[in-house]
Amino acid sequence: MLTTAPRLYIRRPSPTTAEFTVTTCPPLTLPLRLLLLTLHLLRLVVAAAAVLTLYSRFLSIPPTTTTTTTTTTTTTTTTTKQLLLPPLLAGDVPTLLTTLLQAAHLSQPGVFLTALAAPVADWAVALLSLGALYAAVCFQLHKTESVLVLRGLGIQTCSSASSSAAAAAAAAAGTLGWWWAGKVGGGGAGGGTGSKSGWGTQTRFIPTEKIRDVLINEAFRGFEVRYYLIVVVEGEEELVVLFPGLLPRRKIVEAVWRGFRGCLVEGEGGEKG
Amino acid sequence: MSQSLAPECNEIKEGALKERGIDKLLDEAREDNKENDAALMGKRKSGYITARWDLVTRLYELAIFAWNYGVVTRAAKGFAVLSLVFLLIFLPVERLATREGNLHDGLMRVFWPADLPRSDLRGVVVGWRNSALDVFVLAILEEVEPRNVEWALKMGTLLRNAPHPVSRIYELCGQSAIYVLGVSNTPDTVEVDPSWIRVAIGPGRQPPAVTCLRASSIQVILFERPHPERMQYISLNPIELALGDKHDGFKQEVPDGCEDDDEKEDRKKKEQKRQLVEKLRQHSIFKRVPSAKEKALAKVVNQINCAWELEQLLQKNVSRIGTRPKRTLSVSERVVESATTARDMMLVWMWDMFTIYVWPVIKKIFVLGLVAHRVAGEILLRILEWRAQPGYAALKDVSATAQQVEIRLQQFCYWPMQYVTLRLRKNDWESVTTSHPDYIRFYNSLWLVANDVIIGIALGSYIIDNSGWVAEEISQLLSQYTVDALQSSCIEALRPVLPHVIWFIGFSSFAGASMPIALFSDLLSILTLHIYSFYLASARIYHWQLNILISLFHLFRGKKHNVLRNRIDSCDYDLDQLLVGTILFTLLFFLLPTVAVFYLNFAIARMTIISLKAVFDTMLSCLNHFPLFALMLRVKDPGRLPGGIRFELRDTQDFRHSVDDPTQKEQQQLPSTSVIYLKSVPLSFKAMFHQYFQMGHRIRKHYLSPRVLLCLLTGKFVPPLNRKNLYSLQYSMLPARRAGVLEMWNAVNSLPASGSASASASLSSRKMPVLANGGDGKLPVNHSRGRARGLG
Repeated sequence: MLTTAPRLYIRRPSPTTAEFTVTTCPPLTLPLRLLLLTLHLLRLVVAAAAVLTLYSRFLSIPPTTTTTTTTTTTTTTTTTKQLLLPPLLAGDVPTLLTTLLQAAHLSQPGVFLTALAAPVADWAVALLSLGALYAAVCFQLHKTESVLVLRGLGIQTCSSASSSAAAAAAAAAGTLGWWWAGKVGGGGAGGGTGSKSGWGTQTRFIPTEKIRDVLINEAFRGFEVRYYLIVVVEGEEELVVLFPGLLPRRKIVEAVWRGFRGCLVEGEGGEKG
Repeated sequence: MSQSLAPECNEIKEGALKERGIDKLLDEAREDNKENDAALMGKRKSGYITARWDLVTRLYELAIFAWNYGVVTRAAKGFAVLSLVFLLIFLPVERLATREGNLHDGLMRVFWPADLPRSDLRGVVVGWRNSALDVFVLAILEEVEPRNVEWALKMGTLLRNAPHPVSRIYELCGQSAIYVLGVSNTPDTVEVDPSWIRVAIGPGRQPPAVTCLRASSIQVILFERPHPERMQYISLNPIELALGDKHDGFKQEVPDGCEDDDEKEDRKKKEQKRQLVEKLRQHSIFKRVPSAKEKALAKVVNQINCAWELEQLLQKNVSRIGTRPKRTLSVSERVVESATTARDMMLVWMWDMFTIYVWPVIKKIFVLGLVAHRVAGEILLRILEWRAQPGYAALKDVSATAQQVEIRLQQFCYWPMQYVTLRLRKNDWESVTTSHPDYIRFYNSLWLVANDVIIGIALGSYIIDNSGWVAEEISQLLSQYTVDALQSSCIEALRPVLPHVIWFIGFSSFAGASMPIALFSDLLSILTLHIYSFYLASARIYHWQLNILISLFHLFRGKKHNVLRNRIDSCDYDLDQLLVGTILFTLLFFLLPTVAVFYLNFAIARMTIISLKAVFDTMLSCLNHFPLFALMLRVKDPGRLPGGIRFELRDTQDFRHSVDDPTQKEQQQLPSTSVIYLKSVPLSFKAMFHQYFQMGHRIRKHYLSPRVLLCLLTGKFVPPLNRKNLYSLQYSMLPARRAGVLEMWNAVNSLPASGSASASASLSSRKMPVLANGGDGKLPVNHSRGRARGLG
């Protein structure tokens, strides 16, 4: 439900420029947006819990403080709020973080987590929480790959792992923007064109001069035949495969190829399109 | 028809025709058409026929008349000439026109600096015209007439007072002149050239709305101009941090069987790939001729790099266009100016004195000292590189210390040359980006040496303080790992000297932390020489024993190894042969564990030493080659380390929506526009450490391969890694051939001329405001711009 088979979106503001985006993200409807938002919140919670567990197990000074402050938890929380303000205003990040972690450690869920992790061995706790942290931060839901075709300039491939932070921000912004878009009645079209210049994007630009040809190739992969787009680049040993991570179906590949012929090379648009 | 003609007239004409003798023909014709006429005409038969005949005869007369007067021939001639003209001129022109139309198909490309100041004022857009519909905007000159700007560009007024020759910029950008490209914020009523662009900009709208009569679709490519004075630039290819020239001369001919195998395999693979690529190249169906727009990309990159400086120059000279009332200075301003000029005069005079009398002496002394050092360095280098015979190892190949000294000396030889090239950079436009990698390399090596010395001082003082303890530890280790015979002779002799050696190493580290590391590496090699020799001996014994065991096992089975065919043949042994062989086999087999343990002990020790030396070498390469400067630059200003370019398609929708209502009408006329951002991609960290990755890969391939394990198990000699591979990294900062003493002398002596020239140039530019007395030539940029606006 959260992902679909690779879908193609074409953005073509003028006949000489086009962007082909293949993404596994389904069109963002309101329930889906809410689901994504909850998912990202869940990730945030998991990551926070992992950090807290690590802190309470290895970094804090365990027995003396807990015994003294368990009785006065409520009072400490109120004072921590006052404690948080000065470093926040001063921009003292380490102090702020330690104060925050201390407060979280002494709070209800923090105590619960410590109790939960108490019977487990040290190395297991470290391994588990680090694993959870890694999974929560580096978890990718959707994969998006795009190709930008500019006549007279060249082709640019771009594969963006919609990384956690950017995706979360996009989802949050999208949820807000959906209402506005619904009221205005404007763009409900673009699903896959969120914030692309994120953190994990890798782009590569190939000037037209160096492009020898763009063609569809076929290859065996397991027991199936996959069709994929390749660019033959002048003076390079390796062929450049477009959409290497997703390898979309033949229909999409053909559509993109037709778009390429129409867009990239002058004078060919009429015959081939 | 016949009714319209009067009967009298008909009669007269009939009479006239009869006279001419054609009444007979007429009669025949009437006879022929009798039935037809009767059916069609009925009563009006006679009138119709006469009228028709009248027309025919008239035409006939006309033809005869024309023939008599030569009209036909003349008409034919005219027709022939016209068709010739049509064939020769109009058809090709039409063909050409359609082809041109197909070629450009109305796509216009506009490169637009995103950080160009935006204002609502009318202006003239000037820039490069790469091809008919491919323009590069340099600047918007505000409140001037396009005609005046054209004239000024033609006369070169706008490029006056350039700090360096403008032809250099032209050469860089591949153009011969700057053109007027269009007008900005001009109402549609004003007639402009059809090839010009109309631009609507304002403070509120980021992508300018561009229209052109000739263009059907437009690509607006926005870019941030790199600042040349901050040494930012963009490039299509990643910046080269290592020196480009390959060190073929450095390659040592170490004939090593295993290494050769590796390289052979690599070469074979490469060859195969090359053939594949060649085949692919032959398979491409047609070769497309790249259009002018496609070929312009490299030029455009240069144009982007020059855009900032050129815009500054143009804006500085805007005030020269057209007639402008000159503003005279008020009295108070004059007083201030004369006061400042008096102070300036004093300063300038003192500076002159200094540059004329003191500076040359200082410089001369410095240069002489430099050359003396260089000569000493040359002698040392010669010693280090001396080989007894061409194939033999030089001192620097054997000892890490010698290598380290050599690297430092080579760097010392290279610095003056680098400095000279960097100084020459000052004589050119700052937009010229060819020397920027040199700059980074130069300061990187300087910084690394400084770093090395700083770390070295700390390390050295620590070692000197603890020299006694370190010596004690080392001697203990030695006594643990040496046999008694060695201990009594060598170690005892070494023991009293050891603290001094350690002290010496500590003291050497004031020349950089790399020195003690290299010395320790050498000390390790020397002190473990016995382990190495025992390793060699035991490995040989172990290997022999294994081989004998294998062949005796064959004998035991009644087989033997046929050397000629390289296979196992069966063989009939005699009883005594078998007996002796079996006894020997048993003996050797029972002896094997002892020898194996002996061998393993030394093999493991040897491996430990090799890995220790590898660690030392890695530390050395980090100290000598770490891309520290590049890393800092990457953090501080990624624009200085370009790693390519990237395009980003912007939504055209949002900017159309954001435009106010009054201009909505204008939006209708906009041709289909795509807004693209051109951005520079900073160099990736992976590319910065590319050589480290390469070295790591090589070491891994050499030592962590199953081949090495097999060698260890069978007692074969594990070849050490070729130093060429290990040290290619360290030498990648140095040129393959170092400049000689004379060359350096010439280069350093050529510098003063250029240096004084630039000094005098800077002097003259400093004098300028003093002498010109506030003439409009040297006004500050923002001042003139403000005036230009105010006058509009």
